Amino acid sequence: MQKFIPSVLVAAISMSLTACIKSEKQDEKVEINKNPYPSTYQVLPQQTTIIRNATVLTGTGERIDNADVLMINGKISQVGKNIAAQSAAVIDANGKWVTPGIIDVHSHLGVYPSPSAESHSDGNEATQPNTSEVWAEHSVWPQDPGFNRAREGGITTLQILPGSANLFGGRGVTLRNVPSQTMQGMKFPDAPYGLKMACGENPKRVYGTKKVSPATRMGNMAGYRMAWAEATEYKRAWDKYEADYAAGKNPEAPARDIELDTLKGVLDGEIKIHNHCYKAEEMAMMIDLSKEFGYHAGTFHHAIEAYKIADKLAENGNCAAMWPDWWGFKMEAYDMIQENVAVVSSKANSCAIVHSDSATTIQRLNQEAGKVMYRANENGFDIKPKDAITWITANAAKSLGIDDKTGTLESGKNADVVIWNSNPFSVYAQAEQVFVDGAKVYDRFDENYQAVSDFSLGQQ
Amino acid sequence: MKLFKSSLLMVALTSAASVYADSVAITNATVHTMTEQGVLKNATVVFDDGVISAINPDTVEADTSIDAQGKILTPGFIGAMNQLGLVEVSAVSSTRDSGEKKADITFDASVAFNPKSTVIPYTRKGGITANITVPRGGDGMFKGQAFLADLSGDFDSIRETNVAVIVDLGAKRKGSRAMEIQKLRYKLQDAQEKLDTAKDSNKDEKQPKRDEQVIRTLLAGEKPLIAYVDRATDILALLAIKQDFALDLVIAGAGDAVSVANEIADAGVPVIMGAINNLPSFDALHRSLTSASKLFDAGVNVAYSVSGDTHNLYMLRFDAGISVANGVKKEDALKAVTVNIADAFNIDAGRVAVGKKADLVLWSGDPFELSTHVEKMWVDGVEKTTKSRQDALRERYTAETNMPRAYVK
Repeated sequence: MQKFIPSVLVAAISMSLTACIKSEKQDEKVEINKNPYPSTYQVLPQQTTIIRNATVLTGTGERIDNADVLMINGKISQVGKNIAAQSAAVIDANGKWVTPGIIDVHSHLGVYPSPSAESHSDGNEATQPNTSEVWAEHSVWPQDPGFNRAREGGITTLQILPGSANLFGGRGVTLRNVPSQTMQGMKFPDAPYGLKMACGENPKRVYGTKKVSPATRMGNMAGYRMAWAEATEYKRAWDKYEADYAAGKNPEAPARDIELDTLKGVLDGEIKIHNHCYKAEEMAMMIDLSKEFGYHAGTFHHAIEAYKIADKLAENGNCAAMWPDWWGFKMEAYDMIQENVAVVSSKANSCAIVHSDSATTIQRLNQEAGKVMYRANENGFDIKPKDAITWITANAAKSLGIDDKTGTLESGKNADVVIWNSNPFSVYAQAEQVFVDGAKVYDRFDENYQAVSDFSLGQQ
Repeated sequence: MKLFKSSLLMVALTSAASVYADSVAITNATVHTMTEQGVLKNATVVFDDGVISAINPDTVEADTSIDAQGKILTPGFIGAMNQLGLVEVSAVSSTRDSGEKKADITFDASVAFNPKSTVIPYTRKGGITANITVPRGGDGMFKGQAFLADLSGDFDSIRETNVAVIVDLGAKRKGSRAMEIQKLRYKLQDAQEKLDTAKDSNKDEKQPKRDEQVIRTLLAGEKPLIAYVDRATDILALLAIKQDFALDLVIAGAGDAVSVANEIADAGVPVIMGAINNLPSFDALHRSLTSASKLFDAGVNVAYSVSGDTHNLYMLRFDAGISVANGVKKEDALKAVTVNIADAFNIDAGRVAVGKKADLVLWSGDPFELSTHVEKMWVDGVEKTTKSRQDALRERYTAETNMPRAYVK
């Protein structure tokens, strides 16, 4: 009897093992919804339109005089001379200039809106050095009157970023500059997310003064490396889950981590890095950091010292987003030169961008680019308007990963178009009409196309 | 001969405070005089030892003659309401001398002015030859005394100290704006009563305290009170105080001045504003890019200041240009950065006229255009370069070299 028992037990165990392999079903696969707040953007009423006889800067490095731009079904149909277009609405733009819609890669509209108010200060979750879990889109107040002011300056697309107190500030979001009651109504369909990172003085100051790491630049680097190491493990766990599941096993999904989801998104190549980083030596280290952990370092914002490493940026395919002339507000902004954008732009395979980071200068990004062009030309460069326009159109689109959709006046692209009353690089230039996806969203001479924020409405 | 030259050089170096300036004639210029003379075409301006000695003289006698080839000559532009010379790097506390917790109405920061600040040659790129530097003061509403400095970069840059009293009113982070307006009124009232009593009793009064002395200069109309304020009701409250105490009042900031433009014009009060500030605050719901033109139209003397960081002061001319694009007449915009700012602070500057300091700028084109640069500029009759540290950095990093760039100088 006693002898018998073990063999029964063995039989029972072997039976249950067989049953397990043969008949246990896989659990439902754990999928992470990567787009839980999808765009609900709708193109505004639009019609087939031809803009005639303008000086056209295409954003592809070309200038065409006395040219026409034809917009059909919200797309650029043709750009050139004497385009035939029956039944199109005609805009006579003789003496005027036409460019692609202006794109600002660095804005805090909606998250630091006007009027400035404690209860609307939603741009920086400055509570710990890594807040990759926050998404700027969850802070956007679409009624910020600044969106309207920016549209009047020809801004058709803009990236809203979290602030720079943290090593990882969270996700940025790319918006169409159209009025809407909801953030989703502005969200640029299918634009990739960005991850805001910040080098240098800000994180070390914000946390250092709290006696929390990072307190130094080496602390900054340590913080990045530890986060990417953790993200690498997280990605490995998910990749293993995916592979095991695909192999027919029934693995347990890793615990979901909203913070690491974002970093994993970068490692997977789905989320672009937008790195507040002023100084040459720090940008170089951020490039090495990206190589250490296998992602691309993306765009350096406020890259005051980009001119010192312009070759390196071009070789590594980094965009640099710069101001023409902001400086002196902190040590890392001390070595500004007014030709920074032009020096970066002079290298083959470069990606030079003019950005605003300002609710005021976003209204005149064209003039910000103009300042660089003229100062550079006074100092030995030969930059034409057809080149300078790319700093606020095509290159900006490339930085945001939407260059297949906007940023140039090429057939098939979204009809994001600005008609200027004169050379847009004049201090007197005004955007007269602005189109997003072929729909007129602003007209300087027609109140029907001048949006007013709910906030401003009815104020005495 | 060689010896002679070097000894002359010695003299020049040792007496840098009073550099001998050659006489210079600028011929064939389009001169915006900012006086009743208006714009003079093909004009000649002569200056000697730092002072304009002749305009369109019958015969030109000067050590140096410069053909302007029809280009525009203006008075040097004047910056205001910033911390030029008091702050080198904003976030570096050891380079900031513009404020002090306990600084009060007597605070004069001019002793701290650094003429060797890198911000000064950079600012000259904007055609700015003089600046009203305004301290940030301390916790109280009076921020201290403004001073006038030129942008020569010389150790004797300060031209005039204590040119205005600065008071900051309007929206408060804590408490009520009403308290500050009330305190200002009481301070003036108390000082006035003390004066009246002293007069009535015919007795020698005790030497008034330093802050009382400053208040008395305001009551005597000897210097302006520059009040930072935006909301229309605050502006009206200040106009009433001006009326009651016969103050020389200037409104700065002035976000919602458009709402009470006529009242400001009737009171003869100048306004110093950022020409491109158009985003709303609760104190300035109505400001827009057309605010400046509406104020000019109402008859207000408008002057411009660049808002934000002092390092951006050079942009003053661009802001003026943007105001022109939004309805301001070009000549009015020019006034806003020359005579109107000078007159708001009662300083002798901002005009091209015989007897005035030779603070002049010759422009490559329209002074407001982005494409224009300063061709030549003179501060107190001495030609000044617009080259700055930024140019040296650019040249270093665009030079051809096989050596580390640290060797490129």
